[in-house]
Amino acid sequence: MARRSLFERVARLSTLPVRVGERIGLFDHVPPGLPDGAPPPKHTFRWDLDKTYLRTEFDSFADLAKSAFETAADKSAFPGSPALLRSLRQDGHRICIVSGSPTQMRQVLTAKLALDGVEFDEFVLKNNLKNILRGRFRSMRAQIPYKLPAMLRSRIGATAPAETLFGDDAEADAIIYCLYADICAGRVSLQDLERVLEASRAYDDDAAIVLDFARRVPKGDAVRRMFIHLDRKSPSLPFRRFGRRLVPVFNYFQAALVLYADGVLTARQVIFVALEMLDSKQYELGHLATSLQDMMRRGRMTREDALRLVADATEAAASGALAERSDLPPFETMAEAFRARVRSLGNAEPPAWDPEEPLDYVRLVDEEHEHRRTRRKAGLSGAG
Amino acid sequence: MHRIVVDAMGGDHAPDEIVRGAAEASLSLPGAEIILVGDAKALGRLLPSMRHDGARVRVENAASYVDMDEKPGEALAAKPDASILVAAKLVAAGEGDALVSAGNTGASVLACAKQWKLLPGVKKAALAAVYPTELRRGEKDDPFSLILDVGATVEATAEDLVGFAVMGSAYAKLVSSNKRPRVALLSNGTEPNKGPASIVGAHQSLLAAADINFIGNIEGLDIPRGVADVVVTAGFTGNVVLKMLEGVSETVVRLARYAHKERLAWRLGLIALSSAIDQLKSITDWQQYGGAPLLGFAHPFIKAHGRSNARAVTNAIKVAHKALSGDLCGAIAKTMNELGAT
Repeated sequence: MARRSLFERVARLSTLPVRVGERIGLFDHVPPGLPDGAPPPKHTFRWDLDKTYLRTEFDSFADLAKSAFETAADKSAFPGSPALLRSLRQDGHRICIVSGSPTQMRQVLTAKLALDGVEFDEFVLKNNLKNILRGRFRSMRAQIPYKLPAMLRSRIGATAPAETLFGDDAEADAIIYCLYADICAGRVSLQDLERVLEASRAYDDDAAIVLDFARRVPKGDAVRRMFIHLDRKSPSLPFRRFGRRLVPVFNYFQAALVLYADGVLTARQVIFVALEMLDSKQYELGHLATSLQDMMRRGRMTREDALRLVADATEAAASGALAERSDLPPFETMAEAFRARVRSLGNAEPPAWDPEEPLDYVRLVDEEHEHRRTRRKAGLSGAG
Repeated sequence: MHRIVVDAMGGDHAPDEIVRGAAEASLSLPGAEIILVGDAKALGRLLPSMRHDGARVRVENAASYVDMDEKPGEALAAKPDASILVAAKLVAAGEGDALVSAGNTGASVLACAKQWKLLPGVKKAALAAVYPTELRRGEKDDPFSLILDVGATVEATAEDLVGFAVMGSAYAKLVSSNKRPRVALLSNGTEPNKGPASIVGAHQSLLAAADINFIGNIEGLDIPRGVADVVVTAGFTGNVVLKMLEGVSETVVRLARYAHKERLAWRLGLIALSSAIDQLKSITDWQQYGGAPLLGFAHPFIKAHGRSNARAVTNAIKVAHKALSGDLCGAIAKTMNELGAT
């Protein structure tokens, strides 16, 4: 092994405090925003990690401990989520991760994403050590006062005309994402936001920061789509109150279907997500076809889009999207399974959408707190 | 993956409780796909209000359904798109592996008979029913014994009765985890020569069947005692016996209610016995059993009680899943083949 020069050794010693600080999660890693002269992103994708990308259990202390000591290789992503994230990594797209995991997890989580071949532009974690040192124990569980300013700050640093958000049903992601979308669109007044922050028990200085960001954030109806991964298999009906833009999904094939219909993904990319799910052995072709039918039943995908996807996927398969996949049945057989699921519904129309009303965020936050209290009493907890 | 087709429109509490039971089964049986057959619009409205796995519950539209009190033959002839018929067709076409219904029993049996093939060696299918007994059986201390046939057909020859014994024994082995279920013929005496010619002939054949733990003939009073784990009889007698047993149970409950109203001392007596009565109710809770099978066809069919709630439906789906996992039909076919060869 080559001997290090004195200069190198001194240099390494001088970075020691930084490396130790990194290890114990002392730093916040505030996203720097775009470099000078860099073009703004065309589309930003914001992802939560635990229970959205990663299969994480938080329901007991043992689960928490296990999660904290897992290596990157031990951690497991939901089938299809790495393929989806890789597919979204396109020119002009920005991938931002905001997770409620503590900053001490940065190294292992970064390594996990690298193992999955996922690249990102921003990665924000929660600095719970700082919260403990400042005696801010309420902040350790708080979701809105943590995630909302992180997302607003990120948008101020790099503003895209379109955004897509990914969260889960474990905690308040649906509320936070809709609130963020409505703040960006200028549909929430500062007075209303102040009331929401009060209801979410934000500390005064944290609330002031959120209000400042809300004032400064570039306005625009940017959030096109929000996905809520139904990790708890929650009923999807209550999510209808958040409107058509928020789509609860049981798996990432469903998210890929909607993104295809939105024109964000191609049929070939949908195939890649499907293949990763099939390769996981947790899904079979029938499950994917049933997932498509489920989206149609819920009015989240039209019959026309479903049939268009089958036609486009047939073309993609013919041009080599399934090359070297001798383990799969002929593509026409697979396409027929999807068409059959569409036919199975007969002429049944999905339920009609009610006219969308503005959301009462204070009430939603109160309900969420009540829900969380009930869950805690029942011996369950969660973290986003 | 086992695909279990569920008639979502059959039963007193259909479709709500049926869909709820299927939704629960999609979570507790990750190796299964549930296919709900019925009014796609109604089912599509119900499912999102329940916890379930959207990748494991699919819907097959059926425009009509057979009511609980309709005449089976006439109803199926008039409604070719009835949910039970569509469900049976799906299984016959290989798009499903087993069928569960809480709907009209006659229509369910007839739909299967029209669409499905009998297993090799089986001459007649048999509808089974479970009945709580004094003695328990199997690894799970199962309090239920199996009676078949209770009405799939009216008459049975000696050969048919032997077939019923094989099918009942295979089912009890699998579902009650009972390694050597005791099989008996229902007759008017325990002696081998008692009863009609079909019973006497079946008795002789079953004595020679090595795979069957045949304990001989039993009388009606032995059924609630639980002397046998599988009680074999012809459909006409089985149906009369089953209805009588149900009638006795209902009468006991009515008498208890009468006693509760009539005298304070009797009421106090019932209150003193309430915990024991509750325990008895939990032991004999038919909802935990889920349903009873129609045996002899190439696919498992589990008939859930008409009054089934979500829990009973979930359990019926679990029984169907168990029948598929344990290859019930294969086991019956194998034993029938061996019997035929001897």
